[in-house]
Amino acid sequence: MSAPLLELRRLTKSFGGARALRGVDFDLRAGEVHALLGENGAGKSTLIRIITGAHRPDGGTVAVDGRPAGPLDPRGAHQLGIACIYQQPALFPDLSIAENLALRLETGGSLRRVDWPARHRRATALLERVGARLDPHREVRDLSMPEQQLVEIACALGAGARIVVMDEPTAALTQAEQTRLHGVVRELRAQGTGVIYITHRLEEIFVLADRVTVLRDGESVGTRPAADLTEPELIRLMVGREVAQPYPPAERPPGGAVLRLRRLGRRDSGVHDVSLDLHAGEILGLAGLVGAGRTELARILFGLTPADAGTIELLGRTVRPRSPREAVEMGLAYVPEDRRRHGVILDLPLAHNASLASHRRLFPGGWLRPAAERRFTEDFIRDLGIRGGGPFAPAGSLSGGNQQKVALARWLATGPRVLILDEPTQGVDIGAKAEIHRLVRRLAGEGLAVLLISSDLPEVIGMSDRIGVMRGGTLTAVLPRDATPDTVMAAALGRATEAAR
Amino acid sequence: MLTPSAMPRPALRHETVLLAVVLLEWLCFHALGPRFGTLENSFDLLRHSAEIGLLALAMTPVILTGGIDLSVGSLLGLCAVLYGKLWRDAGLDPGAAAGCTLALGALAGGLNAALIAGLRLPPLIVTLGTYSLFRGLAEAITRGADTFTNFPASFLFLGQERWLGLPSQAWLFAAVAAAVWLLVHRTTFGRACRAHGFAPEGARHAGLPAGRQLAAVYMLSGLIAALAAVIYTARLGQARADAGTGYELLAITAVVLGGTSIFGGRGTVHGTLLGVAALAILNNGLVHARQPREVAGLLTGALLLLALAAGTAPRLGTAWRARRAPHPSPS
Repeated sequence: MSAPLLELRRLTKSFGGARALRGVDFDLRAGEVHALLGENGAGKSTLIRIITGAHRPDGGTVAVDGRPAGPLDPRGAHQLGIACIYQQPALFPDLSIAENLALRLETGGSLRRVDWPARHRRATALLERVGARLDPHREVRDLSMPEQQLVEIACALGAGARIVVMDEPTAALTQAEQTRLHGVVRELRAQGTGVIYITHRLEEIFVLADRVTVLRDGESVGTRPAADLTEPELIRLMVGREVAQPYPPAERPPGGAVLRLRRLGRRDSGVHDVSLDLHAGEILGLAGLVGAGRTELARILFGLTPADAGTIELLGRTVRPRSPREAVEMGLAYVPEDRRRHGVILDLPLAHNASLASHRRLFPGGWLRPAAERRFTEDFIRDLGIRGGGPFAPAGSLSGGNQQKVALARWLATGPRVLILDEPTQGVDIGAKAEIHRLVRRLAGEGLAVLLISSDLPEVIGMSDRIGVMRGGTLTAVLPRDATPDTVMAAALGRATEAAR
Repeated sequence: MLTPSAMPRPALRHETVLLAVVLLEWLCFHALGPRFGTLENSFDLLRHSAEIGLLALAMTPVILTGGIDLSVGSLLGLCAVLYGKLWRDAGLDPGAAAGCTLALGALAGGLNAALIAGLRLPPLIVTLGTYSLFRGLAEAITRGADTFTNFPASFLFLGQERWLGLPSQAWLFAAVAAAVWLLVHRTTFGRACRAHGFAPEGARHAGLPAGRQLAAVYMLSGLIAALAAVIYTARLGQARADAGTGYELLAITAVVLGGTSIFGGRGTVHGTLLGVAALAILNNGLVHARQPREVAGLLTGALLLLALAAGTAPRLGTAWRARRAPHPSPS
């Protein structure tokens, strides 16, 4: 058999202390659809970014047509015939289809005369190849999402791409659009193109893929022909591992309900009909795929995007926080997902970050009290084990884990009743992760009600007293503490048949 | 993204360098112009820098929040005209007229505040609008020709005489400087302004009241611009619609020269005061050194650009290192 179109051997890549890829092997043959699967954070995106040249691997080799390609850069990848179609098409909305194609495909100086008829003929021909009957004069902003994806694919074809990466192309598509896209993918395969196909919809794999590679924790769990696999086997491959690190056990049973949500929702966040009770001293995990509405729910609770339906009852009182400020006053605290943009203010010193949400409490009358602030900061630095800088080091100079502890310190200082944690250990090294886990468990032990949003399945299962699963903007299941990764994942995927809607 | 927090701490603080520049200017002009170093000229310097100094003080918290107020020069003109109108035509005594003018200034600042904090419009565009609006109002009130003069001596005392050994307005200026310094450096309000300037979304996530803060900052700016208008009128003994033309840019220049980041978050009030001093001494000194006025503009521009370049040099170094180092996060 001839050399594979693309062959990756023992790829490694780390970001800071976090190892995203730990020696991954992967190969793609001409004329096949190779599905790439894995949980959020398993390393799929990193692998794709190495193939498209956006990231350089730390180790390992990349070979195209059996020839070593060296570390790729975006331009080199393009020249080797590698193209990537993202979930969100990256076209210029104000230009026409033909102009968008020309920008990527036409070479030559920027001052040459434009041959408009040729430009349009070529665009029409490329669009025909992907089965799209679109007028190349149309502006891209008027196209639907699937139409834009077809333009992207036409663009890849025009560039002579032989290796096409598709990153969750059907995530935003209806069933009919999905079927049409599958037709285009099969057409590409028939023409000898190799397609790397990433999806969370398991049923797609069985109708489309020839082979499947599953990534888990930055390692390849194996490559199998799709025909040999069943859906339960796939789910097991994706999550099937024992919980690696011991999680701190619950110290005492949860108390009374602190937070009651009834049919809570917000139309433009896509969240609807969320009903749940959160008890004092309880850690309620929220599992689900990216885009299932977990962060959106947290933003509703914290008043960032206020609810427009349903009720929130906090300590027996019906509340509707309309801004984070109101939410803070009610006793809510939110450690957001995007630590660097929202969680801490990188340029402010650690001490100023930590006191930011409790100005009124720490500085009565509005006058800063540097000595008191310093003592307060030194206390929490000791208490939370923050390393890497004194009270006046900018938060941006700390490691991710220590930044997260500063974000936590800020909210603990407000004396909250409900703490919402959104991916609290994402991008945090193992040591700090375990410390954060112990801290969260201790806080719950002191009576705090914790809502823990996490895409890290072992974390959700290990930390939570109960596990809520969100899908499509609502809570679809609440599982007991002894749920297995398979049942959580199955609930998050909504079992293949239902997800296909 | 480049995080300024990764900036290596410069060997010398910006304020220290600027202080040296101010002293150097003083020594140079002292050597060049025989009358420069006299007490009389020092008082002149104080009188001439009070108004722009006040505007620069008001501009500092505004820029710290990541905003800008281009309307202060025009508002100075409008308030000067309003003051004249209130005193001459409405028959108020000079003190009452001043009080009313300050209130109207705060109100005008409130218009900026409502548009910026209430409707979330960009400060640059809002104050560019009120920049024309306020000047236009001033011209409409005077029909472009009316000039208010013959103010009573009791009022001119504020701008032309001395009180306790110093020019009267110097005391007002010092009081405002102290108040703004305390506000920026010693209150939670100043802290919140900084947080907002560094990261508006981050500040929102911390539950800070962004709207209220921004509103206060722009109203304060209006109030101080009105005070500058009263002092300006008292110094020149006349109020015209073109008073304070171009002052907004001089005030911004002083603030930026003083080390405040135009992107918000970083900066000090004492830096602004040094920036004001550096510009004032340069302008006054060149007159005494018998240099044409154009040289002042030229040197002001050069000084500002040098200060900015000096401020970014360490950051460029960081950017260069960041490009060579692996990316810090997979995002």
